[in-house]
Amino acid sequence: MTSHISGVVFWPVAVVAVVALVMWVRQAAAAARLGKRLATAEQEVRSREADIRVREAELAHLVDVRLPAVELGGRRPQQGLRDDRLAGAAYGQRMDQVVNRFVGAVEKARVRADQSAKATLKAAMRSVQALANEQQLSISDMQDRHDSPYVLQDLMEIDHANSQFARRAQAIAVLCGSWPGRQRAASPLIDVLRGAKSRIRDYQRVEIGPGPDIDVISRAVEPVVLAVAELLDNATRHSQPNTSVEVTLRPAHNGTTVVIDDAGVGMDELEVSLAVERLGGGENLDINRLGDPPQFGFAVIGVLAARYGFSVSVDTRSPYGGVRAVLFLPKALLVTAGTAAAPVVARAAHHRAAAQDDLPVRTPAVRAVAAEPAVAAPAAAEPVHERAPGDDEVPQTPITGATVGGLPKRRRREASGEQVAARHARTAEPLPDEDTGPIRTPYETASRMGAFARGTRSGRAESADDEGTTQE
Amino acid sequence: MTPPRRREQGLVRAYVVTDGRAHPTRNTLDIVSLVNAVTGRPMAGLTPERRAVMELCRGGALSVAEVAGYLALPLSVTKVLISDLIDSGHIIARAAIPKAQLPDVQLLQEVLNGLRARL
Repeated sequence: MTSHISGVVFWPVAVVAVVALVMWVRQAAAAARLGKRLATAEQEVRSREADIRVREAELAHLVDVRLPAVELGGRRPQQGLRDDRLAGAAYGQRMDQVVNRFVGAVEKARVRADQSAKATLKAAMRSVQALANEQQLSISDMQDRHDSPYVLQDLMEIDHANSQFARRAQAIAVLCGSWPGRQRAASPLIDVLRGAKSRIRDYQRVEIGPGPDIDVISRAVEPVVLAVAELLDNATRHSQPNTSVEVTLRPAHNGTTVVIDDAGVGMDELEVSLAVERLGGGENLDINRLGDPPQFGFAVIGVLAARYGFSVSVDTRSPYGGVRAVLFLPKALLVTAGTAAAPVVARAAHHRAAAQDDLPVRTPAVRAVAAEPAVAAPAAAEPVHERAPGDDEVPQTPITGATVGGLPKRRRREASGEQVAARHARTAEPLPDEDTGPIRTPYETASRMGAFARGTRSGRAESADDEGTTQE
Repeated sequence: MTPPRRREQGLVRAYVVTDGRAHPTRNTLDIVSLVNAVTGRPMAGLTPERRAVMELCRGGALSVAEVAGYLALPLSVTKVLISDLIDSGHIIARAAIPKAQLPDVQLLQEVLNGLRARL
Protein backbone atom coordinates (compact mmCIF):
# COMPACT_ATOMS: atom_id res chain seq x y z
CA MET A 1 0.00 0.00 0.00
CA THR A 2 2.60 2.37 1.03
CA SER A 3 4.53 1.57 -2.10
CA HIS A 4 1.35 2.01 -4.15
CA ILE A 5 0.69 5.38 -2.59
CA SER A 6 4.30 6.44 -2.98
CA GLY A 7 4.16 5.28 -6.58
CA VAL A 8 1.02 7.26 -7.15
CA VAL A 9 2.58 10.38 -5.65
CA PHE A 10 6.00 9.92 -7.19
CA TRP A 11 5.12 10.06 -10.87
CA PRO A 12 3.17 13.26 -10.97
CA VAL A 13 5.71 14.88 -8.80
CA ALA A 14 8.45 13.70 -11.09
CA VAL A 15 6.64 14.95 -14.11
CA VAL A 16 6.02 18.31 -12.51
CA ALA A 17 9.61 18.50 -11.47
CA VAL A 18 10.82 17.73 -14.93
CA VAL A 19 8.49 20.25 -16.42
CA ALA A 20 9.56 22.81 -13.90
CA LEU A 21 13.15 22.10 -14.63
CA VAL A 22 12.66 22.42 -18.31
CA MET A 23 10.78 25.66 -17.85
CA TRP A 24 13.45 27.01 -15.53
CA VAL A 25 16.15 26.17 -17.99
CA ARG A 26 14.28 27.89 -20.80
CA GLN A 27 13.58 30.84 -18.59
CA ALA A 28 17.17 31.09 -17.63
CA ALA A 29 18.23 30.96 -21.26
CA ALA A 30 15.73 33.65 -22.21
CA ALA A 31 16.85 35.82 -19.31
CA ALA A 32 20.46 35.37 -20.34
CA ARG A 33 19.58 36.35 -23.93
CA LEU A 34 17.68 39.39 -22.76
CA GLY A 35 20.45 40.41 -20.43
CA LYS A 36 22.90 40.21 -23.28
CA ARG A 37 20.70 42.28 -25.56
CA LEU A 38 20.19 44.80 -22.84
CA ALA A 39 23.87 45.08 -22.33
CA THR A 40 24.58 45.67 -26.04
CA ALA A 41 21.74 48.17 -26.21
CA GLU A 42 23.10 50.03 -23.26
CA GLN A 43 26.50 50.05 -24.77
CA GLU A 44 25.13 51.41 -28.00
CA VAL A 45 23.26 54.12 -26.17
CA ARG A 46 26.38 55.08 -24.34
CA SER A 47 28.43 55.26 -27.50
CA ARG A 48 25.72 57.27 -29.22
CA GLU A 49 25.66 59.65 -26.31
CA ALA A 50 29.38 60.04 -26.51
CA ASP A 51 29.09 60.64 -30.21
CA ILE A 52 26.49 63.34 -29.67
CA ARG A 53 28.66 64.98 -27.06
CA VAL A 54 31.57 65.00 -29.50
CA ARG A 55 29.39 66.53 -32.19
CA GLU A 56 28.03 69.16 -29.82
CA ALA A 57 31.49 70.05 -28.75
CA GLU A 58 32.49 70.23 -32.39
CA LEU A 59 29.56 72.52 -33.12
CA ALA A 60 30.50 74.74 -30.21
CA HIS A 61 34.07 74.76 -31.51
CA LEU A 62 32.77 75.80 -34.91
CA VAL A 63 30.73 78.67 -33.53
CA ASP A 64 33.15 79.85 -30.88
CA VAL A 65 36.53 79.31 -32.51
CA ARG A 66 36.54 78.44 -36.19
CA LEU A 67 34.09 81.01 -37.55
CA PRO A 68 35.45 83.91 -35.47
CA ALA A 69 38.91 83.00 -36.77
CA VAL A 70 37.60 83.32 -40.30
CA GLU A 71 35.91 86.60 -39.43
CA LEU A 72 39.14 88.02 -38.14
CA GLY A 73 40.80 87.17 -41.40
CA GLY A 74 44.46 86.43 -41.60
CA ARG A 75 45.23 87.70 -38.15
CA ARG A 76 44.48 84.32 -36.53
CA PRO A 77 45.48 80.99 -38.08
CA GLN A 78 42.74 78.91 -39.65
CA GLN A 79 41.41 76.33 -37.14
CA GLY A 80 40.78 72.67 -38.02
CA LEU A 81 38.42 70.11 -36.53
CA ARG A 82 38.57 69.75 -32.77
CA ASP A 83 38.22 65.98 -32.71
CA ASP A 84 40.24 64.02 -35.22
CA ARG A 85 37.83 61.08 -35.05
CA LEU A 86 35.35 63.12 -37.10
CA ALA A 87 37.84 63.93 -39.80
CA GLY A 88 36.86 61.15 -42.18
CA ALA A 89 33.18 61.06 -41.28
CA ALA A 90 30.39 62.69 -43.23
CA TYR A 91 29.68 64.95 -40.27
CA GLY A 92 33.21 66.30 -40.26
CA GLN A 93 33.11 66.94 -43.98
CA ARG A 94 29.88 68.86 -43.59
CA MET A 95 31.45 70.95 -40.88
CA ASP A 96 34.35 71.76 -43.18
CA GLN A 97 31.89 72.69 -45.90
CA VAL A 98 30.20 75.13 -43.52
CA VAL A 99 33.53 76.75 -42.76
CA ASN A 100 34.46 76.95 -46.43
CA ARG A 101 31.16 78.55 -47.36
CA PHE A 102 31.69 81.04 -44.59
CA VAL A 103 35.22 81.78 -45.76
CA GLY A 104 33.94 82.31 -49.28
CA ALA A 105 31.21 84.67 -48.11
CA VAL A 106 33.64 86.66 -45.97
CA GLU A 107 36.15 86.90 -48.81
CA LYS A 108 33.48 88.00 -51.26
CA ALA A 109 32.22 90.66 -48.87
CA ARG A 110 35.78 91.85 -48.24
CA VAL A 111 36.56 92.12 -51.94
CA ARG A 112 33.34 93.95 -52.60
CA ALA A 113 33.93 96.40 -49.76
CA ASP A 114 37.52 96.89 -50.88
CA GLN A 115 36.53 97.54 -54.45
CA SER A 116 33.85 100.02 -53.55
CA ALA A 117 36.18 101.81 -51.14
CA LYS A 118 38.87 101.92 -53.81
CA ALA A 119 36.51 103.18 -56.48
CA THR A 120 35.20 105.92 -54.21
CA LEU A 121 38.66 107.01 -53.13
CA LYS A 122 39.96 106.88 -56.68
CA ALA A 123 37.22 109.12 -57.98
CA ALA A 124 37.66 111.53 -55.09
CA MET A 125 41.43 111.62 -55.50
CA ARG A 126 41.24 112.18 -59.21
CA SER A 127 39.52 115.52 -58.75
CA VAL A 128 41.88 116.44 -55.92
CA GLN A 129 44.86 115.58 -58.13
CA ALA A 130 43.53 117.65 -60.98
CA LEU A 131 43.09 120.61 -58.69
CA ALA A 132 46.58 120.21 -57.25
CA ASN A 133 48.08 120.11 -60.73
CA GLU A 134 46.10 123.14 -61.76
CA GLN A 135 47.31 125.00 -58.72
CA GLN A 136 50.88 123.97 -59.45
CA LEU A 137 50.60 125.42 -62.93
CA SER A 138 49.28 128.71 -61.67
CA ILE A 139 52.05 128.85 -59.07
CA SER A 140 54.60 128.28 -61.84
CA ASP A 141 53.00 131.02 -63.90
CA MET A 142 53.15 133.40 -60.97
CA GLN A 143 56.79 132.57 -60.40
CA ASP A 144 57.48 133.43 -64.01
CA ARG A 145 55.48 136.62 -63.88
CA HIS A 146 56.75 138.24 -60.71
CA ASP A 147 60.31 139.29 -60.26
CA SER A 148 60.31 140.00 -56.56
CA PRO A 149 62.17 137.89 -54.03
CA TYR A 150 59.42 138.48 -51.49
CA VAL A 151 56.76 137.16 -53.82
CA LEU A 152 59.00 134.27 -54.75
CA GLN A 153 59.53 133.40 -51.11
CA ASP A 154 55.80 133.18 -50.52
CA LEU A 155 55.21 131.31 -53.73
CA MET A 156 57.86 128.78 -52.79
CA GLU A 157 56.08 128.04 -49.53
CA ILE A 158 52.77 127.62 -51.28
CA ASP A 159 54.41 125.51 -53.95
CA HIS A 160 56.07 123.30 -51.35
CA ALA A 161 52.82 122.66 -49.52
CA ASN A 162 51.02 122.04 -52.79
CA SER A 163 53.63 119.52 -53.93
CA GLN A 164 53.28 117.51 -50.75
CA PHE A 165 49.54 117.69 -51.03
CA ALA A 166 49.67 116.46 -54.61
CA ARG A 167 51.94 113.59 -53.61
CA ARG A 168 49.52 112.41 -50.93
CA ALA A 169 46.64 112.47 -53.36
CA GLN A 170 48.75 110.67 -55.93
CA ALA A 171 49.81 107.99 -53.45
CA ILE A 172 46.23 107.25 -52.47
CA ALA A 173 45.16 107.18 -56.10
CA VAL A 174 47.93 104.70 -56.90
CA LEU A 175 46.91 102.47 -54.00
CA CYS A 176 43.39 102.46 -55.38
CA GLY A 177 44.63 101.16 -58.69
CA SER A 178 44.90 104.44 -60.56
CA TRP A 179 47.85 105.58 -62.64
CA PRO A 180 50.36 107.95 -61.07
CA GLY A 181 48.90 110.76 -63.09
CA ARG A 182 51.10 113.05 -65.07
CA GLN A 183 52.84 111.90 -68.20
CA ARG A 184 56.34 113.26 -68.40
CA ALA A 185 59.14 113.26 -70.92
CA ALA A 186 62.18 111.11 -70.26
CA SER A 187 64.22 112.98 -67.65
CA PRO A 188 67.70 112.72 -66.19
CA LEU A 189 67.87 110.41 -63.20
CA ILE A 190 69.29 113.22 -61.09
CA ASP A 191 66.26 115.38 -61.93
CA VAL A 192 63.97 112.50 -61.08
CA LEU A 193 65.58 112.26 -57.65
CA ARG A 194 65.37 116.01 -57.17
CA GLY A 195 61.76 115.85 -58.26
CA ALA A 196 61.20 113.36 -55.47
CA LYS A 197 63.04 115.72 -53.13
CA SER A 198 60.62 118.49 -54.15
CA ARG A 199 57.70 116.57 -52.76
CA ILE A 200 58.66 115.99 -49.15
CA ARG A 201 58.55 118.22 -46.14
CA ASP A 202 62.21 118.31 -45.08
CA TYR A 203 63.71 118.53 -48.53
CA GLN A 204 66.63 120.61 -47.32
CA ARG A 205 68.01 117.68 -45.37
CA VAL A 206 68.27 115.48 -48.44
CA GLU A 207 71.68 115.40 -50.07
CA ILE A 208 71.89 113.87 -53.49
CA GLY A 209 75.30 112.67 -54.58
CA PRO A 210 76.68 112.70 -58.09
CA GLY A 211 75.58 109.94 -60.39
CA PRO A 212 75.80 108.52 -63.87
CA ASP A 213 74.45 110.56 -66.76
CA ILE A 214 71.38 108.53 -67.56
CA ASP A 215 67.74 109.27 -68.20
CA VAL A 216 64.68 107.52 -66.87
CA ILE A 217 62.24 106.57 -69.62
CA SER A 218 59.09 108.62 -69.92
CA ARG A 219 56.76 105.92 -68.65
CA ALA A 220 58.70 105.40 -65.43
CA VAL A 221 59.48 108.99 -64.45
CA GLU A 222 56.45 109.67 -62.33
CA PRO A 223 56.35 106.25 -60.61
CA VAL A 224 60.03 106.45 -59.68
CA VAL A 225 59.58 110.00 -58.44
CA LEU A 226 56.70 108.89 -56.28
CA ALA A 227 58.47 105.80 -54.92
CA VAL A 228 61.66 107.72 -54.10
CA ALA A 229 59.59 110.50 -52.54
CA GLU A 230 57.93 107.99 -50.23
CA LEU A 231 61.31 106.54 -49.25
CA LEU A 232 62.75 110.00 -48.64
CA ASP A 233 59.69 110.96 -46.66
CA ASN A 234 60.11 107.91 -44.42
CA ALA A 235 63.81 108.63 -44.06
CA THR A 236 63.37 112.28 -43.06
CA ARG A 237 60.35 111.61 -40.89
CA HIS A 238 62.07 108.95 -38.81
CA SER A 239 65.34 110.74 -38.21
CA GLN A 240 66.44 113.71 -36.16
CA PRO A 241 65.87 117.13 -37.74
CA ASN A 242 69.58 117.92 -37.59
CA THR A 243 70.70 114.84 -39.48
CA SER A 244 70.88 114.56 -43.21
CA VAL A 245 69.55 111.91 -45.53
CA GLU A 246 72.08 110.77 -48.10
CA VAL A 247 71.14 109.62 -51.55
CA THR A 248 73.85 107.90 -53.54
CA LEU A 249 73.70 106.48 -57.01
CA ARG A 250 75.57 103.35 -57.92
CA PRO A 251 75.72 102.07 -61.45
CA ALA A 252 75.31 98.31 -61.61
CA HIS A 253 75.73 95.78 -64.37
CA ASN A 254 72.12 95.73 -65.47
CA GLY A 255 70.73 98.89 -64.01
CA THR A 256 71.34 101.57 -61.43
CA THR A 257 70.83 101.51 -57.70
CA VAL A 258 69.57 104.43 -55.68
CA VAL A 259 70.67 104.07 -52.06
CA ILE A 260 68.95 106.17 -49.42
CA ASP A 261 70.62 106.23 -46.01
CA ASP A 262 69.19 107.92 -42.97
CA ALA A 263 70.58 108.32 -39.49
CA GLY A 264 67.28 107.72 -37.78
CA VAL A 265 65.88 105.25 -35.31
CA GLY A 266 65.76 102.34 -37.72
CA MET A 267 63.15 99.61 -37.74
CA ASP A 268 62.79 96.62 -35.44
CA GLU A 269 62.27 93.12 -36.82
CA LEU A 270 58.50 93.31 -36.74
CA GLU A 271 58.49 96.58 -38.67
CA VAL A 272 60.98 95.21 -41.17
CA SER A 273 58.87 92.11 -41.75
CA LEU A 274 55.76 94.24 -42.18
CA ALA A 275 57.60 96.54 -44.58
CA VAL A 276 58.91 93.60 -46.61
CA GLU A 277 55.43 92.15 -46.76
CA ARG A 278 53.98 95.44 -48.01
CA LEU A 279 56.78 96.06 -50.47
CA GLY A 280 56.19 92.62 -51.95
CA GLY A 281 52.44 92.98 -51.77
CA GLY A 282 51.96 94.02 -55.35
CA GLU A 283 48.61 95.03 -56.68
CA ASN A 284 46.26 92.97 -54.56
CA LEU A 285 46.44 95.01 -51.45
CA ASP A 286 43.72 95.66 -48.94
CA ILE A 287 43.50 99.35 -48.26
CA ASN A 288 41.45 98.63 -45.16
CA ARG A 289 44.41 96.92 -43.57
CA LEU A 290 46.90 99.76 -43.59
CA GLY A 291 46.48 100.48 -39.92
CA ASP A 292 45.23 103.50 -38.11
CA PRO A 293 46.50 106.05 -39.03
CA PRO A 294 47.01 104.37 -42.41
CA GLN A 295 50.60 103.89 -43.51
CA PHE A 296 50.64 104.25 -47.24
CA GLY A 297 54.35 104.53 -47.93
CA PHE A 298 55.56 100.97 -48.37
CA ALA A 299 52.26 99.81 -49.82
CA VAL A 300 52.43 102.48 -52.53
CA ILE A 301 56.02 101.58 -53.33
CA GLY A 302 55.06 97.91 -53.48
CA VAL A 303 52.27 98.61 -55.95
CA LEU A 304 54.49 100.80 -58.13
CA ALA A 305 57.42 98.40 -58.04
CA ALA A 306 55.23 95.50 -59.11
CA ARG A 307 53.62 97.54 -61.85
CA TYR A 308 56.73 99.13 -63.37
CA GLY A 309 59.35 96.50 -62.70
CA PHE A 310 61.78 98.08 -60.29
CA SER A 311 62.58 96.69 -56.88
CA VAL A 312 62.93 98.19 -53.43
CA SER A 313 64.38 96.70 -50.27
CA VAL A 314 64.59 98.23 -46.81
CA ASP A 315 65.91 95.34 -44.77
CA THR A 316 69.48 96.56 -44.43
CA ARG A 317 70.77 98.90 -41.78
CA SER A 318 72.46 102.07 -42.86
CA PRO A 319 76.00 102.75 -41.64
CA TYR A 320 74.55 105.74 -39.77
CA GLY A 321 72.27 103.53 -37.71
CA GLY A 322 69.03 104.14 -39.53
CA VAL A 323 67.45 102.37 -42.44
CA ARG A 324 69.14 101.85 -45.78
CA ALA A 325 66.57 101.79 -48.56
CA VAL A 326 67.79 100.46 -51.88
CA LEU A 327 65.83 101.08 -55.06
CA PHE A 328 67.07 99.17 -58.07
CA LEU A 329 66.18 100.49 -61.52
CA PRO A 330 66.69 97.87 -64.22
CA LYS A 331 68.11 98.80 -67.61
CA ALA A 332 64.67 98.54 -69.16
CA LEU A 333 63.64 101.71 -67.34
CA LEU A 334 66.75 103.70 -68.28
CA VAL A 335 68.10 105.24 -71.46
CA THR A 336 71.43 106.86 -72.08
CA ALA A 337 71.41 110.58 -71.48
CA GLY A 338 70.91 113.07 -74.26
CA THR A 339 68.35 111.10 -76.19
CA ALA A 340 65.59 112.64 -74.12
CA ALA A 341 65.97 116.33 -74.87
CA ALA A 342 68.46 118.53 -76.66
CA PRO A 343 70.83 119.99 -74.11
CA VAL A 344 70.19 123.59 -73.18
CA VAL A 345 73.61 124.72 -74.37
CA ALA A 346 73.12 123.36 -77.87
CA ARG A 347 69.83 125.19 -78.09
CA ALA A 348 71.46 128.40 -76.96
CA ALA A 349 74.21 128.04 -79.56
CA HIS A 350 71.59 127.42 -82.21
CA HIS A 351 69.78 130.58 -81.24
CA ARG A 352 72.90 132.61 -81.22
CA ALA A 353 73.72 131.47 -84.72
CA ALA A 354 70.18 132.11 -85.88
CA ALA A 355 70.11 135.56 -84.35
CA GLN A 356 73.34 136.48 -86.06
CA ASP A 357 72.11 135.26 -89.42
CA ASP A 358 69.18 137.61 -89.07
CA LEU A 359 71.25 140.68 -88.45
CA PRO A 360 73.25 142.42 -91.13
CA VAL A 361 76.80 143.14 -90.13
CA ARG A 362 78.28 146.55 -90.78
CA THR A 363 81.93 145.77 -90.35
CA PRO A 364 83.52 142.39 -90.16
CA ALA A 365 85.67 143.60 -87.31
CA VAL A 366 86.11 140.35 -85.50
CA ARG A 367 87.67 140.59 -82.13
CA ALA A 368 88.18 137.91 -79.63
CA VAL A 369 86.28 138.78 -76.50
CA ALA A 370 86.43 135.47 -74.72
CA ALA A 371 88.79 132.57 -74.46
CA GLU A 372 87.18 130.58 -77.26
CA PRO A 373 87.63 132.55 -80.46
CA ALA A 374 85.23 130.35 -82.41
CA VAL A 375 82.34 131.34 -80.19
CA ALA A 376 83.54 134.85 -79.56
CA ALA A 377 83.93 135.80 -83.18
CA PRO A 378 80.26 135.86 -84.05
CA ALA A 379 79.55 137.46 -80.71
CA ALA A 380 81.37 140.55 -81.89
CA ALA A 381 78.90 141.05 -84.67
CA GLU A 382 77.40 144.48 -84.64
CA PRO A 383 73.67 144.14 -84.24
CA VAL A 384 72.72 147.54 -85.68
CA HIS A 385 70.99 147.93 -88.97
CA GLU A 386 72.97 149.14 -91.87
CA ARG A 387 72.32 152.76 -92.53
CA ALA A 388 72.27 154.32 -95.91
CA PRO A 389 74.62 157.30 -96.28
CA GLY A 390 71.73 159.63 -97.01
CA ASP A 391 70.27 159.11 -93.57
CA ASP A 392 72.89 161.22 -91.92
CA GLU A 393 72.15 164.25 -94.01
CA VAL A 394 69.52 166.53 -92.55
CA PRO A 395 67.23 167.39 -95.39
CA GLN A 396 66.39 170.99 -95.94
CA THR A 397 63.14 172.08 -94.46
CA PRO A 398 61.27 174.89 -96.04
CA ILE A 399 61.62 178.21 -94.29
CA THR A 400 58.20 179.70 -93.90
CA GLY A 401 59.09 183.07 -92.51
CA ALA A 402 61.07 184.93 -89.88
CA THR A 403 60.48 185.71 -86.25
CA VAL A 404 60.55 189.18 -84.81
CA GLY A 405 64.02 188.47 -83.52
CA GLY A 406 65.19 187.60 -87.02
CA LEU A 407 65.42 183.91 -86.57
CA PRO A 408 64.12 181.84 -89.46
CA LYS A 409 60.84 180.01 -88.89
CA ARG A 410 60.77 176.50 -90.12
CA ARG A 411 57.87 174.21 -90.72
CA ARG A 412 58.05 170.75 -89.22
CA ARG A 413 59.71 168.44 -91.66
CA GLU A 414 57.40 165.90 -93.22
CA ALA A 415 58.73 162.98 -95.04
CA SER A 416 57.68 162.99 -98.64
CA GLY A 417 56.09 159.93 -100.14
CA GLU A 418 59.17 158.78 -102.00
CA GLN A 419 61.37 159.25 -98.96
CA VAL A 420 59.09 157.03 -96.95
CA ALA A 421 59.01 154.46 -99.70
CA ALA A 422 62.77 154.54 -100.03
CA ARG A 423 63.20 154.06 -96.30
CA HIS A 424 60.81 151.16 -96.30
CA ALA A 425 62.65 149.59 -99.17
CA ARG A 426 65.95 150.00 -97.38
CA THR A 427 64.77 148.38 -94.20
CA ALA A 428 62.91 145.66 -96.04
CA GLU A 429 65.83 144.70 -98.25
CA PRO A 430 68.39 143.47 -95.79
CA LEU A 431 65.80 141.86 -93.54
CA PRO A 432 63.38 140.04 -95.78
CA ASP A 433 62.11 137.76 -93.08
CA GLU A 434 61.43 140.63 -90.73
CA ASP A 435 58.02 141.28 -92.24
CA THR A 436 56.93 137.68 -92.37
CA GLY A 437 56.78 137.37 -88.63
CA PRO A 438 55.08 140.37 -87.13
CA ILE A 439 55.15 138.88 -83.66
CA ARG A 440 58.51 137.86 -82.29
CA THR A 441 58.77 134.91 -80.02
CA PRO A 442 60.24 135.60 -76.61
CA TYR A 443 63.28 133.55 -77.60
CA GLU A 444 63.88 135.68 -80.60
CA THR A 445 63.52 138.83 -78.58
CA ALA A 446 65.86 137.47 -75.93
CA SER A 447 68.49 136.53 -78.50
CA ARG A 448 68.24 139.96 -80.13
CA MET A 449 68.63 141.64 -76.79
CA GLY A 450 71.64 139.49 -76.15
CA ALA A 451 73.13 140.27 -79.53
CA PHE A 452 72.61 143.96 -78.88
CA ALA A 453 74.22 143.67 -75.48
CA ARG A 454 77.19 141.79 -76.91
CA GLY A 455 77.55 144.38 -79.63
CA THR A 456 77.66 147.29 -77.25
CA ARG A 457 80.05 145.38 -75.06
CA SER A 458 82.45 144.78 -77.91
CA GLY A 459 82.05 148.43 -78.86
CA ARG A 460 83.07 149.49 -75.40
CA ALA A 461 86.02 147.15 -75.51
CA GLU A 462 87.07 148.79 -78.77
CA SER A 463 86.90 152.31 -77.38
CA ALA A 464 88.91 151.19 -74.33
CA ASP A 465 86.50 153.16 -72.22
CA ASP A 466 85.60 150.99 -69.28
CA GLU A 467 82.16 152.13 -68.40
CA GLY A 468 80.83 148.89 -67.08
CA THR A 469 81.34 148.12 -63.47
CA THR A 470 82.80 144.74 -62.91
CA GLN A 471 81.51 142.64 -60.08
CA GLU A 472 83.67 140.10 -58.54
CA MET B 1 62.37 129.94 -85.68
CA THR B 2 60.45 127.44 -83.61
CA PRO B 3 60.66 127.82 -79.87
CA PRO B 4 62.67 125.04 -78.29
CA ARG B 5 60.88 122.29 -76.44
CA ARG B 6 60.59 123.38 -72.88
CA ARG B 7 62.33 121.43 -70.21
CA GLU B 8 60.14 119.01 -68.34
CA GLN B 9 58.12 121.46 -66.32
CA GLY B 10 57.33 121.14 -62.70
CA LEU B 11 59.46 118.12 -61.97
CA VAL B 12 62.12 119.93 -59.98
CA ARG B 13 60.46 122.78 -58.14
CA ALA B 14 62.01 126.20 -57.68
CA TYR B 15 62.65 125.78 -53.95
CA VAL B 16 64.78 122.72 -54.62
CA VAL B 17 66.73 124.58 -57.30
CA THR B 18 67.64 127.38 -54.88
CA ASP B 19 67.53 125.23 -51.75
CA GLY B 20 64.67 127.25 -50.36
CA ARG B 21 66.18 130.70 -50.83
CA ALA B 22 64.29 133.38 -52.68
CA HIS B 23 66.55 136.33 -52.01
CA PRO B 24 69.67 136.63 -54.12
CA THR B 25 72.84 137.35 -52.18
CA ARG B 26 73.21 140.62 -54.08
CA ASN B 27 70.61 142.99 -55.41
CA THR B 28 72.79 144.43 -58.14
CA LEU B 29 71.60 142.00 -60.78
CA ASP B 30 69.19 143.33 -63.32
CA ILE B 31 67.46 141.46 -66.10
CA VAL B 32 69.83 143.03 -68.60
CA SER B 33 72.96 142.50 -66.52
CA LEU B 34 75.50 140.58 -68.51
CA VAL B 35 77.05 137.49 -67.05
CA ASN B 36 80.17 135.75 -68.21
CA ALA B 37 81.66 132.47 -67.05
CA VAL B 38 85.10 132.42 -65.52
CA THR B 39 87.05 129.69 -67.23
CA GLY B 40 88.97 127.14 -65.27
CA ARG B 41 86.74 127.00 -62.23
CA PRO B 42 85.91 123.53 -60.93
CA MET B 43 82.47 122.36 -61.95
CA ALA B 44 82.28 119.52 -59.47
CA GLY B 45 79.66 119.88 -56.81
CA LEU B 46 77.50 122.24 -58.80
CA THR B 47 73.82 121.45 -59.12
CA PRO B 48 72.57 120.70 -62.65
CA GLU B 49 71.05 124.18 -63.02
CA ARG B 50 74.24 125.92 -61.92
CA ARG B 51 76.23 123.78 -64.29
CA ALA B 52 73.84 124.67 -67.11
CA VAL B 53 74.31 128.38 -66.34
CA MET B 54 78.08 127.90 -66.52
CA GLU B 55 77.86 126.06 -69.82
CA LEU B 56 75.57 128.70 -71.26
CA CYS B 57 77.76 131.58 -70.23
CA ARG B 58 80.93 129.97 -71.45
CA GLY B 59 79.99 130.84 -75.02
CA GLY B 60 80.12 134.56 -74.33
CA ALA B 61 78.27 137.07 -72.26
CA LEU B 62 74.55 136.57 -71.81
CA SER B 63 71.97 138.69 -70.12
CA VAL B 64 70.23 137.38 -67.03
CA ALA B 65 66.97 137.34 -68.95
CA GLU B 66 68.49 135.12 -71.60
CA VAL B 67 69.87 132.68 -69.06
CA ALA B 68 66.43 132.47 -67.47
CA GLY B 69 64.87 131.90 -70.86
CA TYR B 70 67.19 129.09 -71.86
CA LEU B 71 66.93 127.34 -68.54
CA ALA B 72 63.15 127.83 -68.45
CA LEU B 73 63.44 129.06 -64.90
CA PRO B 74 61.70 132.06 -63.36
CA LEU B 75 63.78 135.22 -63.46
CA SER B 76 63.92 135.58 -59.71
CA VAL B 77 65.18 132.02 -59.33
CA THR B 78 67.83 132.62 -61.99
CA LYS B 79 69.01 135.67 -60.08
CA VAL B 80 69.50 133.58 -56.95
CA LEU B 81 71.52 131.03 -58.91
CA ILE B 82 73.67 133.62 -60.64
CA SER B 83 74.33 135.48 -57.37
CA ASP B 84 75.55 132.23 -55.87
CA LEU B 85 77.81 131.61 -58.84
CA ILE B 86 79.19 135.13 -58.58
CA ASP B 87 79.87 134.52 -54.89
CA SER B 88 81.72 131.31 -55.64
CA GLY B 89 83.73 133.04 -58.35
CA HIS B 90 82.28 131.06 -61.22
CA ILE B 91 80.71 133.99 -62.96
CA ILE B 92 81.48 137.65 -63.50
CA ALA B 93 78.60 140.05 -63.95
CA ARG B 94 78.66 143.42 -65.58
CA ALA B 95 76.01 145.99 -64.96
CA ALA B 96 73.82 146.85 -67.89
CA ILE B 97 75.13 149.45 -70.27
CA PRO B 98 74.30 152.84 -68.76
CA LYS B 99 71.97 155.12 -70.63
CA ALA B 100 73.46 157.87 -72.74
CA GLN B 101 73.98 161.12 -70.87
CA LEU B 102 70.97 163.28 -71.53
CA PRO B 103 71.16 167.04 -71.11
CA ASP B 104 69.98 168.33 -67.83
CA VAL B 105 66.22 168.90 -67.78
CA GLN B 106 66.69 172.15 -65.91
CA LEU B 107 69.04 173.43 -68.59
CA LEU B 108 66.58 172.57 -71.30
CA GLN B 109 63.84 174.28 -69.36
CA GLU B 110 65.99 177.42 -69.08
CA VAL B 111 66.72 177.37 -72.79
CA LEU B 112 63.03 176.97 -73.48
CA ASN B 113 62.21 179.83 -71.13
CA GLY B 114 64.84 181.98 -72.78
CA LEU B 115 63.51 181.21 -76.21
CA ARG B 116 59.98 181.94 -75.11
CA ALA B 117 61.10 185.22 -73.66
CA ARG B 118 62.78 186.10 -76.95
CA LEU B 119 59.99 185.02 -79.26
